[in-house]
Amino acid sequence: MKQDIIKLPEYITFENAGEIYDQIIEIINNAIPSQIVTLNFESVKHIDSAGAAIINKINETASQKECALKMINLDPKIEQTIRLFQVDVKYDESEKQQESRFEKIGAAGYRFYNTLIEVIILLSNVFYWSFASFFKKKLRRKGDVIHQSILIGVNALPIIGLISFLIGFILALQSAAQLRQFGANIYVADLIAIAMVSEMGPLITAIMVAGRSGSAIAAEIATMTVTEEIDALKTMGIDPIPYLIVPKLFSIILTLPMLTVFANVIGIIGGMVIGVAYLDIDIIPFYNEVISVLRLKEIITFIVKSIVFAIIIVLTGTYFGLKVKGGSEGVGRATTASVVFSIFMVIVADSLLGLIFYLE
Amino acid sequence: MDIQPIIKIEHLSSGYNGKPVLKDISLDIYPNEIMAVLGTSGCGKTTLLKHLIGLLKPDKGTIKLFDKDIVNIDEVEFNNILKQVGVLFQNGALLNSISLGENIAIPLEQHTNLSPDLIEYLVRLKLKLVGLDHVYDYFPSELSGGMRKRAALARAIALDPKILFADEPGAGLDPVTASSLDTLLLSLKQQLGMTLIIVTHETASIKRIADRVTYLHDGKALFSGSLSEALKSDVSELRAFFHSSE
Repeated sequence: MKQDIIKLPEYITFENAGEIYDQIIEIINNAIPSQIVTLNFESVKHIDSAGAAIINKINETASQKECALKMINLDPKIEQTIRLFQVDVKYDESEKQQESRFEKIGAAGYRFYNTLIEVIILLSNVFYWSFASFFKKKLRRKGDVIHQSILIGVNALPIIGLISFLIGFILALQSAAQLRQFGANIYVADLIAIAMVSEMGPLITAIMVAGRSGSAIAAEIATMTVTEEIDALKTMGIDPIPYLIVPKLFSIILTLPMLTVFANVIGIIGGMVIGVAYLDIDIIPFYNEVISVLRLKEIITFIVKSIVFAIIIVLTGTYFGLKVKGGSEGVGRATTASVVFSIFMVIVADSLLGLIFYLE
Repeated sequence: MDIQPIIKIEHLSSGYNGKPVLKDISLDIYPNEIMAVLGTSGCGKTTLLKHLIGLLKPDKGTIKLFDKDIVNIDEVEFNNILKQVGVLFQNGALLNSISLGENIAIPLEQHTNLSPDLIEYLVRLKLKLVGLDHVYDYFPSELSGGMRKRAALARAIALDPKILFADEPGAGLDPVTASSLDTLLLSLKQQLGMTLIIVTHETASIKRIADRVTYLHDGKALFSGSLSEALKSDVSELRAFFHSSE
């Protein structure tokens, strides 16, 4: 019968364990079944956990290959160390099994179904508590509607003003070049008024608020979930939906249409600057044209859009905040996902509402 | 033959914002012993630990680890010393964004040349040592406080450090788990020759594992000696410490 005797060095530690392991495993892999591989511990003075781990792993590999592993001249202390780290390390193979394509599709479908149900439950909860706490102020955090309105609305005025002005300005500049060719200069006022009021105003405002305040809502709720503050509220008999979410919903429903009006006015002023400076239209005719083209329909469109966008922003932030998993990393993930998804949903809702209002 | 201390602290004084926390502490810790640092809350135990691992710099005095002064040492050399040191933080300090297995693999990946399958084996082995092999893929946030602490211990001993600093290892653990943790700490000392510096309040644990005891009070080392001497000590604060928990 073939025998291999391997003399081990004085120290088997993190520094050399990898090399020793590779050498012995190569011998075992080349061994024929029932061959004896002998590890001679005669010189070994010290072994650490990496050393013990490779001896145990070599043992496992040898028994899988059906070759006998013998350990000779083993000092009792070294043997004790090997035994300390001789643990039955079981790998859970089921965890590593690959899912088939159909299983993946099924799991994704199931996740989507569950998410849909959760969103519907959250939506109904939020609506129910919105009505309930509208009449019962005590359910809401005291002074939170005003506080949130300042955070979401007032503090957003400068950035929304600036962006709307630039949007109106650019929109007018682009269209002015075309309209001028046909001598239809004055229609730049119509174009800016319709585009800002029914489309760009609500959309830009909602995207800005989703990025600014939607992320803040998601981060706040997610942090509260991670640090068990939400659980603490529940154990005090306080429902987090009316206490935390409803004030945010009220304030955003209140402020988003106002911010949109502000964005519309500033956007039209941006367009007017181009009209006056580039197309030689006077302020009064520009103003009259804007007023004449705006119908009740445009006003209703932007109000409805603003309210729908407000609900989307709060619900998305809340949903991702409450569903957070993990610690600080989870909060970051929830915030990012919330912003991306709420902007996406705002654009989808904008398209749908556009179709509803303009398909005649 | 004289045994050289593995950690030597001489006249260490330090404070926060001008307020003294540690006052003229001198202490020798020898290889292969378990030194328990005791004291009431706010007496400077954790501050002392932070000085020993280089997180804080003292106002006065010297700290020597492996006979090297870590107060005035360059970063590269200090990083080499840190490879031989493991630290178990009070709240575990596991990285929340990665799984437990990945947490424990960090020092193995950074400081050894072992193959990924050997690293995984070692990680599972260390987790098994602390009784957590079934939660390899879990994230720290999915574990209980006690489990997080044990996982942090697995990370601290990943490289078989020569010195293990543990800040309240038994806090928040049930008596059975705390006792098995003590057994593990003892076997780390006996089998791997580790030196352990343990900051703790748990008198049961101190009596089970400590070789020597240092008692801090108001930033000063009021007592330093063997466990048996500590239990018989006349220092009133130390007597009160042991007796109040009986």
